[in-house]
Amino acid sequence: MRTGLTPLAAKQDEGREQGVWRRRFGSILTELAIWLPLSIAAGHVVLFTAWTTWVSFTASSLMPDYTWVGLRNYWAVTRTANFQIAYVNLLIFGFGFVLLTMALGLLLAILLDQRVRGENVLRTIFLYPLAVSFVVTGTVWSWLLNPGLGLQRVVQNLGWQDFRFDWLVQSDKAIYTLIFAGVWQGAGFAMALFLAGLRSVDADLVKAAQIDGAGPWRTYRRVLLPTIWPIFITVFVILLRSAITSFDLVRALTGGGPGISTMLPTLVVYDFMFQRSELGRGSAAAVLMLLSLVVVMAPYGLYVRWQRQRQARA
Amino acid sequence: MPITTRRRLLVGSAAALALPAFARAQSEAKPRITAISQWSAGSDGAAISALGKLFEERGGVWQHNPVPGFTTEMMNKLRAQIMAGDPPAISQLKGPEIAAWSKIAPTVDISPWVKTAGFADRVPAELAKSCQPGGHWIALPLQVYRINTLFMSTKGMQRAGVTKAPTSWAEFNDTAEKMKAAGMIPLANGGIRYDDGMKFEIALAGISPEVYRRAIMQLDTDALKGKEVLAAFEQLRKFASVMNPNIAAQPWAVNLPAFVKGDMGMVLMGGWAQGNLFKAGATLADFSSGPAPQESGPPCFDLNADCFIFWKPKGADLEAGQKLFAETVMQPSTQEMYSKITGSIPARTDVNLAAEGFTDGQRNSAQNLRDAIAKDRVVLSLGHNMAQPNGMTAAMIDVLTEYVHNSAIPAVEGQKRLVAAVAGAQ
Repeated sequence: MRTGLTPLAAKQDEGREQGVWRRRFGSILTELAIWLPLSIAAGHVVLFTAWTTWVSFTASSLMPDYTWVGLRNYWAVTRTANFQIAYVNLLIFGFGFVLLTMALGLLLAILLDQRVRGENVLRTIFLYPLAVSFVVTGTVWSWLLNPGLGLQRVVQNLGWQDFRFDWLVQSDKAIYTLIFAGVWQGAGFAMALFLAGLRSVDADLVKAAQIDGAGPWRTYRRVLLPTIWPIFITVFVILLRSAITSFDLVRALTGGGPGISTMLPTLVVYDFMFQRSELGRGSAAAVLMLLSLVVVMAPYGLYVRWQRQRQARA
Repeated sequence: MPITTRRRLLVGSAAALALPAFARAQSEAKPRITAISQWSAGSDGAAISALGKLFEERGGVWQHNPVPGFTTEMMNKLRAQIMAGDPPAISQLKGPEIAAWSKIAPTVDISPWVKTAGFADRVPAELAKSCQPGGHWIALPLQVYRINTLFMSTKGMQRAGVTKAPTSWAEFNDTAEKMKAAGMIPLANGGIRYDDGMKFEIALAGISPEVYRRAIMQLDTDALKGKEVLAAFEQLRKFASVMNPNIAAQPWAVNLPAFVKGDMGMVLMGGWAQGNLFKAGATLADFSSGPAPQESGPPCFDLNADCFIFWKPKGADLEAGQKLFAETVMQPSTQEMYSKITGSIPARTDVNLAAEGFTDGQRNSAQNLRDAIAKDRVVLSLGHNMAQPNGMTAAMIDVLTEYVHNSAIPAVEGQKRLVAAVAGAQ
């Protein structure tokens, strides 16, 4: 048969065979590209999480030492003032940061959604803080909020002598300055997600609402916002995660001070591990932080699963 | 034009590959040292570079890897290197950390070299003890700082009508009130936690070095609960009331321009503040320094020292390098050179500081050290990890820094918390 083929057809045949191989090789490559890094990354995370958990039950101090000591490190860590202050602060900072960021982000998104002129410029401005790292945000705000140099000084120099804004140096108020700086940085991100959500809503829905005589307030409240509510959950979860794992902002802005009044769980872990060289206690603090993340994330995971099941049933 | 044949290429590349190996073989005999320290910039960086240059002049190969930041940052690198089985030949380490770290990796017994140099009797006993945790020398002190040093702003004194530096805490508080009345900020402090710890240790050492030794260095519960420690907490509250209220997480040195101008009056800081002052544009006329107030007896010496620990090296060149380095460091001329750059005083107490390049502050500090040694009034610094290992120091400073920044905590409560923190960290 082959002899009957014209040279051109033979070539085509060969080409087809090559194509099959290329495709097969390509698909192996794709598999490799996905699974190799994924398994390395997953192994990395799982392995080190397991190792840290193990170390947290041992007598490790300066160096890992695998003598089992049970829950001793956990008792020691949870009894320190640092740890207790850190978790109270996490509640204040977590709620304040997440709720205010979402509120401000939503407000900005709704305002921008009015097809204002110069929307692109405004959007860039609002998103800009996201391009700045938390360390920079923290440092800049530490100067802005410094009573002797920043806002307070400026307003006093303008003539309002009694103006006081010295939260940064007050033990009981410094935690709120973290919220300010955090909201400043995160609001643009929340806005971008909300705006994308608002724009993705079917225009017919909005028109239908308008035809039914709904005003803008009612349209947003009854039609637009309920439609994009999955975005609320996304933003909420992302912000909450960044609140719990927040480290650079507090380190640059207050350094945990004044005193130890703005400690956060991440700072406690860092402090025990890398400043005090108490690997066991540091690991215990890290495991407790992981558990607090699980407490927050588990309901979200369950919710997603429940929703998927409901959709499957429907 | 020569033709590049395959063979020529092969020969050429083989030669190129062999060249570094050949060079390495040649330098094997040369003493080499690998070092890590936290000294990367400023006068510290300049001093360690000068030391490296001196080492090179004496025929050594100097490989220094600075890790900027606090000492603990350097320790993290050291830990990683030890875990990887590749510690540097020498690393900066101090106080009780020398004993703690010497348990986790093998060190070198340098006692014979110390003996040859006649170095042992020349350094303060407290310091010598920390360098020989197992009964033999494994580390060498490089320089010493007095922590309990009071710097007075010349312009600030004029402005407040103060004629001499205070010598007791009562006088100190009076001076501070005068400065406050003159519209100044009396105490130029920093907002970083160790700074608050230092203020406490200076107060307590000034009240009673004996109690300081028992309470802070030996963690004696009775001493910690005693009236001297309570008095130190009360003095710490006084400090807090005359500090720069606007300092947040900034280091103390940001105050120095205001201190030089006379807007701030006093600095309680280790001797290195001199170097920072010069860097901030001050001249000798702008400030004076001396021991911090002392309630009873002659001034004590609250000591902070920098040492190098010697790790067991791999290779004859590193062993030779360690010997050469030890000999270099122990020489009086090296110590003199180093202290001139950093503003410290030499670890050797027999170095003559009359030479040009030292300041009156350094001479005063060195004399203070000699007197304090004679009268057994040398104590080790808490805030600078000389008195206790990191974990204990951090637990104590947590209490102190919280106390400084929260005026609602009474002195009695502060003392109680300190006792509890010590018990918790033990």
